[in-house]
Amino acid sequence: MSFRTKIFLSITGTVVLAVWIVAAVVSTLVTQSFERRDAQRTASLVNQLQREFDRRGKDVARRVEAVADSDVVQRLAVNLVGQAAGGQFDASQSFTEAQTLAQEQSLDFLELVGPDAAIISSAEWPARFGYKEDWLAQPVDWKAQGVFLKKEDLADGSALGLITVRSVTAGDKTVYVAGGQRLDKEFLDSLPATDGVRLQLYRNFEPLASPEILGSKLAADLVQDVRQQPRELTRVNDAATITAIPLRGRDKQLLAILLIENSRAELASLKRYIQGTAGAAGGGCVLLGLLLSFWTASRVTRPLRDLAGSVREVAVGKWDTRANVGSSDEVGQLARDFNGMTEQLVEQRDRMIQAERVAAWRELARRLAHELKNPLFPLQITIENLQRSRDSSPAEFDEVFRESTTTLLAELGHLKTIVGRFSDFAKMPTPQLEPVDMNQLAREVIQLFEAQLQAPGRSRVETKLNLASDAGEVPADPEQLRRALRNLVLNALDAMPQGGTLSIRTARHDGKVALEVSDTGEGLTPEECDRLFTPYYTTKQHGTGLGLAIVQSVVSDHKGTISVHSEPNKGTTFRIELKASA
Amino acid sequence: MRLPGWASLALSSLVISNCLSAEVRPRYGGTLTIELSTVWNKLDPGGVNSALSVPITETLVRVTSNGEVEPVLALAWQHDPDFKRWRFSLRPNATFHDGEALTAATAAPSLLAALKPKYGEVSIEAGGQAIVVQADREMPGLLEELALPRSAIFRRSDANPLIGTGPFRITAWEPGRRLNVAAFDNYWGGRPFLDAIEIEFGSGHGRADLFDIPLGPARRILPEGLATWSSAPRTLLAITSTNTDVMLLQALALVVDRAPIANVLAQHKAETAFGLLPQWLSGYAFLFDSTPDVVRAKQLVSALRSGPISLSYPANDLFLRSVAERIALNGRDAGITIQPTTAGNANLRLVEWPLESSDAADELSRIALELGAADRTGQMDPAKPETLYQLERSLLDDHRIIPLLHLRQTYAIAPRVHFQPSSSGTFALHLEDAWIQP
Repeated sequence: MSFRTKIFLSITGTVVLAVWIVAAVVSTLVTQSFERRDAQRTASLVNQLQREFDRRGKDVARRVEAVADSDVVQRLAVNLVGQAAGGQFDASQSFTEAQTLAQEQSLDFLELVGPDAAIISSAEWPARFGYKEDWLAQPVDWKAQGVFLKKEDLADGSALGLITVRSVTAGDKTVYVAGGQRLDKEFLDSLPATDGVRLQLYRNFEPLASPEILGSKLAADLVQDVRQQPRELTRVNDAATITAIPLRGRDKQLLAILLIENSRAELASLKRYIQGTAGAAGGGCVLLGLLLSFWTASRVTRPLRDLAGSVREVAVGKWDTRANVGSSDEVGQLARDFNGMTEQLVEQRDRMIQAERVAAWRELARRLAHELKNPLFPLQITIENLQRSRDSSPAEFDEVFRESTTTLLAELGHLKTIVGRFSDFAKMPTPQLEPVDMNQLAREVIQLFEAQLQAPGRSRVETKLNLASDAGEVPADPEQLRRALRNLVLNALDAMPQGGTLSIRTARHDGKVALEVSDTGEGLTPEECDRLFTPYYTTKQHGTGLGLAIVQSVVSDHKGTISVHSEPNKGTTFRIELKASA
Repeated sequence: MRLPGWASLALSSLVISNCLSAEVRPRYGGTLTIELSTVWNKLDPGGVNSALSVPITETLVRVTSNGEVEPVLALAWQHDPDFKRWRFSLRPNATFHDGEALTAATAAPSLLAALKPKYGEVSIEAGGQAIVVQADREMPGLLEELALPRSAIFRRSDANPLIGTGPFRITAWEPGRRLNVAAFDNYWGGRPFLDAIEIEFGSGHGRADLFDIPLGPARRILPEGLATWSSAPRTLLAITSTNTDVMLLQALALVVDRAPIANVLAQHKAETAFGLLPQWLSGYAFLFDSTPDVVRAKQLVSALRSGPISLSYPANDLFLRSVAERIALNGRDAGITIQPTTAGNANLRLVEWPLESSDAADELSRIALELGAADRTGQMDPAKPETLYQLERSLLDDHRIIPLLHLRQTYAIAPRVHFQPSSSGTFALHLEDAWIQP
């Protein structure tokens, strides 16, 4: 992954993360704010409902009080006293009174009940006259009891009512007036409306609290929980916050559950708006971030890319390459430093080349001096010997002269050979390429050395040819290649003065032909391996240091490679790889 | 037949004290206004169950309050020993409202139509003022049958839906809205006291001289000075069923408390009914009296495991609705769940069966016919009350009907309206006896 891509991804990731964090924080804060507002609204609504219940309760009490104070009820009480005194109480005369009074006072429930708890007149269930309301016969201060919830049995089922009771006494007879208002959907609808709030009343004597009836599974589950353990409970889901308030009767029995459903549609809408806005803004920011990060990455990495390009140029040898110093920042400084470094490297290289040249000339001079000094010394001794012999032993001078001239000629021949070698190295010709069978070449070279290897008095050197049948041919100058191989064989034989094994192997792989020449001599040190192909470097007493240099030169001229692998006391292997013929 | 219940009828009926007072001499003239909560859509004689008798038509004979048959349009009659042939001599000076004289020929069509449903093939011979009724079967109760309103003698024309021989003739008729009649000056019995009668239907203003007080729990405050008149019980209120378990009906009959229904819901305008016929009609109704037995009813219900049953009542009838609700309440005491409804396909039905005549055997036959037990009426001998009782008992033992109440009809009457004493008792209020004090 490129540096620019990394910068691009980093900036993009940072922008996306930042947008996400901002959106999440805003959403969380809004949600929390709504939760608080939701809770406050629910609490306010509960208080409002409680006040409304109290107000309705007082209203019911006032109306029932008015019924109790009415002439009809007072007369009824007096008639009951008259009945007790032996008169006739005609229930038919009072049968419809409760309906009339309930209508006058806008009461849904009204029963006039006699001292024996028998209903004299019932507004909500007229046919129920004569039946007993035993709960009224209890010794209770009904006025202090106030208004309470009660399940009222009706002809077509049951209903829930806000009920209060008043007693009217005449003589020793008491008439009970039990009246109230129905607590149902209409009652809830009549309460002050609040936007987004829905009130539901589940009456505990109803058979089922199904989600279909209550509008949601949340409400149904809530009702079930409150029925099992009556207490105020609040549950929340995405759609609404529902608070369930148990409503109990006089005997603390759970009669109904008031469900206050606070819609979270507004919150959901706002959340959607925030999420949408955040999404749009985030998308915009991400897009902007992408463009910005792309531009930034490009701008930031351009000097680096230029610098990297300069480095690559230098790496391939273009030492005069200079990085563009476009800014004064760290990257600009880096470019300046790079330019300074390349300048120094060029200077050092030039100095090194100069030094190497000097060293090479010195080495050449040393070698030449060394090579030439050896034959010159016998020449000097021979000539001096001739001079002494002419002066001291003229008789023997002829003999000495013959011997000395022989020696002089031999040494001059030696000098000529040395000079020829140097001349050869200097005049390495351009290879004339033709297909050369590497296996055949190996066999020919070994054959050249057969006589030398079998010469008497020479330590035995065993030769092994391990030639791959598929080695094939390479495009090469056969003479130069033969000369290189001969040098390697000579080198191997020199490395085994005590005898050993000379191995030549050929192989073909990856379109190349490899030729290895191994000896079992003493081997070379790593330092010797490093300098082995340096001209005029030799580890032998009488070597010119040009043999392996010539080999490397030949291989190099053939676009091949040569390497050496050596292990002390095990031997050395030279490996030449040349491109195989097509 | 002579009814053994007439004595009790006299006692059970309320007396119009001031209206029937003889202290003031009757006067001619004046128009009597009437408001009725019920609606008459047709003017068939006997087709309206009303205790208010508007005498437009007349029958050949009538039955007095003490059970005697009196001549009306027929002055005399004879029959053969086996009651198959009757001969009536018609009143010679009677005329229809359109002036046509009453003759055997003009009386025969309506007479034949009235007798056919009961006696089947009946032949009538008309000659002058003599009319002969002959049938293959015995007709011992022919006089009582001829005394029924449905046996009245009348004619119809395009202009007049009902042309009778009675003391009043129709002057205006708007079905369902009003009926106006005027005194028939040529009435054979003499002109009635009133000049005219104007009847408005479906009205409840209470501003008329005479208006009905419907049954129901709503107690009506009557203006001061108004008198009330109640008829003898003339409608049976009962529960019938054809597809309900007999034991369940038996339990319901045991648990229904009739007295509160009669006294409170019907506002005393009814009598508790344990038998099919009222006491005044049968004379033996007290033999069926019983008291509610909730314990026994519960025992019967516990053996049944029945589900809810429905009890239908006519829509818009508040009285029957309150009765149905009370019965449902009573039923609940025994564990019977009853749902009052106005739907027609209910398990139980709350029915009102009007009594058309003061003939116990005839009424019992009609009830037996309604209950699908017409075949048992043959065991009945009108001359032997015990056979009537046995038939009624057998009908009750079938537990297909639960009698609840015998209902009266009650009217309020203004102080200026007076009635001459009538010989026909309290079964109907005869407007031909009314007169108005100026």
